[in-house]
Amino acid sequence: MPSRPGLRGSMPFGGIDIGSTMTKAVIIDDNGRPLGSLVGPTGVEHRHLAYRVMEEAARKAGIGREEISFIVATGYGRLNCPFADRQVTEITCHARGVKEEFPDVRLIIDIGGQDSKGIKLDEAGKIVDFVMNDKCAAGTGRFLEIIADTLGIPLAKMGEISLQAREVVKISNTCTVFAEHEVISRLAEGAGVAEICAGLHEAIGGRIAAMVRHLKVEGTAVVTGGGAKNIGLVNVLSRKLDCNVQVPKNPFLTGAYGAALLAKALYERGERGRVERRWEEVTFFQ
Amino acid sequence: METKNQTKTTAVKGTLTAGMIRELVRNIYRSAHEAKAQGKKVAYFMVASQYDEIVRAMDIVPIPTENYAGLCAAKRDMERFLLRAEEDGYSQVLCSYARIGLGFDSLRKELGKIPENAPDGGMPEPDMMLGSSAVCDPRFKWYQAAGRYLNVPSYSIDVVAPPVQADLNEVRDYYIRYQTEQFRGLIAFLEEQTGKKLDEDRLWETIKLGDEAWRLWYEIDRLRVAVPCPMPTQDHFSIMVAGHYYCGTQVAVDFYRQLYEEVKSKVEEGQGVIPVEKYRLLYGGGLPPWHTLWIFNYFESFGAVFVIENVYRGYDPVEVPSYVKDPVEYLAWRAFLRFTQRHERARKNSGHPVVERLLQLIDDYKIDGVVFHACRSCRATTVGQIHIKNLLGRYTDIPMMQLVSDMVDLRDYSEAQWKAQIGGFIDALSARSKR
Repeated sequence: MPSRPGLRGSMPFGGIDIGSTMTKAVIIDDNGRPLGSLVGPTGVEHRHLAYRVMEEAARKAGIGREEISFIVATGYGRLNCPFADRQVTEITCHARGVKEEFPDVRLIIDIGGQDSKGIKLDEAGKIVDFVMNDKCAAGTGRFLEIIADTLGIPLAKMGEISLQAREVVKISNTCTVFAEHEVISRLAEGAGVAEICAGLHEAIGGRIAAMVRHLKVEGTAVVTGGGAKNIGLVNVLSRKLDCNVQVPKNPFLTGAYGAALLAKALYERGERGRVERRWEEVTFFQ
Repeated sequence: METKNQTKTTAVKGTLTAGMIRELVRNIYRSAHEAKAQGKKVAYFMVASQYDEIVRAMDIVPIPTENYAGLCAAKRDMERFLLRAEEDGYSQVLCSYARIGLGFDSLRKELGKIPENAPDGGMPEPDMMLGSSAVCDPRFKWYQAAGRYLNVPSYSIDVVAPPVQADLNEVRDYYIRYQTEQFRGLIAFLEEQTGKKLDEDRLWETIKLGDEAWRLWYEIDRLRVAVPCPMPTQDHFSIMVAGHYYCGTQVAVDFYRQLYEEVKSKVEEGQGVIPVEKYRLLYGGGLPPWHTLWIFNYFESFGAVFVIENVYRGYDPVEVPSYVKDPVEYLAWRAFLRFTQRHERARKNSGHPVVERLLQLIDDYKIDGVVFHACRSCRATTVGQIHIKNLLGRYTDIPMMQLVSDMVDLRDYSEAQWKAQIGGFIDALSARSKR
């Protein structure tokens, strides 16, 4: 999503997606056009700074934080977000964000840090059904993050590295803890990092594909969330689901963008924001 | 699409009668301790084993070990028993009801007394243990394993149901004969343990009380067809205590009679569980999350009310032919008819009796969505849930969701995960209602 200078005179709306690992904020104008956006870390030491991500996004949009007419919060941290006017689930926000860029798509696969989801939409972009991974970390970004650390490679490069594999090393364990042990064993046996990465993507992609198949949707799928940045994983999903898989221009921001669009829609329906926003820290589930 | 922070709400209107259940639960364990002190026989006992009325007719005081596990979970005092069982070598994938029971027995044996501050005074040592194969295999094996801690006899009966494809006219006699033999074996065991013969008139009496309690319970659930629903699911998971742990007694009949009158008056007054009932939900199956029953309040904070459940009252009343004059045969007949009451319909339609029951409930109760609960350590109620959900999806397009945790083991539960899922589910219900 391109950032561009603010448009004075227009009415800005904000969306903030406070995920388990990253906080994403998007500011749009009253035509739905993005004015500014930012991705910042959520992590334990950063979560109280979520509002600063919003402020910084506003600054990039060329406006002050107090100028934002209406803010919708989504993601795991949405529930106690003191500067938001409304909270909306990430499922609805992702659906809205994807609908804007891919109006005909019926299936969204969101691969976040803490969970992965499949979302089935109807022709109007409304949610028909959804599936989520259970509380196990397998099938989530966190799984890949831990294994990337074990392999000593940057998470952002994992997908590309896997494409260089000459063969796929089978990783049997989907439990993150056991998979980490298995990866160490494979390394000790002499397996290459690229081949292990390919095996990990096969395992995680297979798990997500099996989950998403429950929705019984044919046609193009759109992958969002941090996982969509992983070309290796996207390729595996495309092959296992036997469908065309598309990735938004900035898949990290889909949820926040959808939240901003919903903020605009709510405002236009007559809802009004807080008289005085509390630019305070966000509290999370324990 | 809106998210609420609220998890508990005082706006939920439960029935006053259901409030009596807490005392009935306390009384189960108090009665068992008193019976022990008076030299009466007490027995470990399995829910829904079809033998309830026999146990009552023999004046044996039951200690429902599964209920005790649920009680520990509701009081969030289960970890010490679970960990003890695991310390003794029982895997975390085994039934968590059994692990709590075995852990409790292990601790009681080591201490030589009831573990300190055990919920509701704890379970006294039984004189015997009565297992059954009804529902699942751990119930057949659990008490055998408990023999490690208890030097008392155990007896497990086989409780059988024919497959859905079976020609009922062909297999009926065989199944009923076999089930009767199983009951007679249990009776012989109980007579040996108590030193007294079963009084058949007394058995007829307990059967009549059992049937009447279950008929009233069914009628109460039928009242919940009303919009708005007059009784919440939280009450269902309380009042099952009377039907299962007081079955064959006047206590259960009196309780359900009183509850029926209260629910009926709520229907007449149009009084619902919450002020505005937006979505009517079906609890599609799986044991309840005893550790987190307030989650139902969380649903209600979005206007979603569970109006009926497919667990604990798994069958409707049945009519045993009047020519059956022997009470033991009557019990075998009743079990057979209960277990096969949707077989014929299933053969003609989905092929699955549970799907048939759910379809019927969806229709009768004007259901907007179905929620299943997969319990990691309960194979019996979890395996096949996705298959049932998929099959159901061929006949209805209402949103369905499967939550995953365990019936009592809190380590398998994630609040953030559930809230995220519930939020999505409410979104799907809302989207469908606007279509």
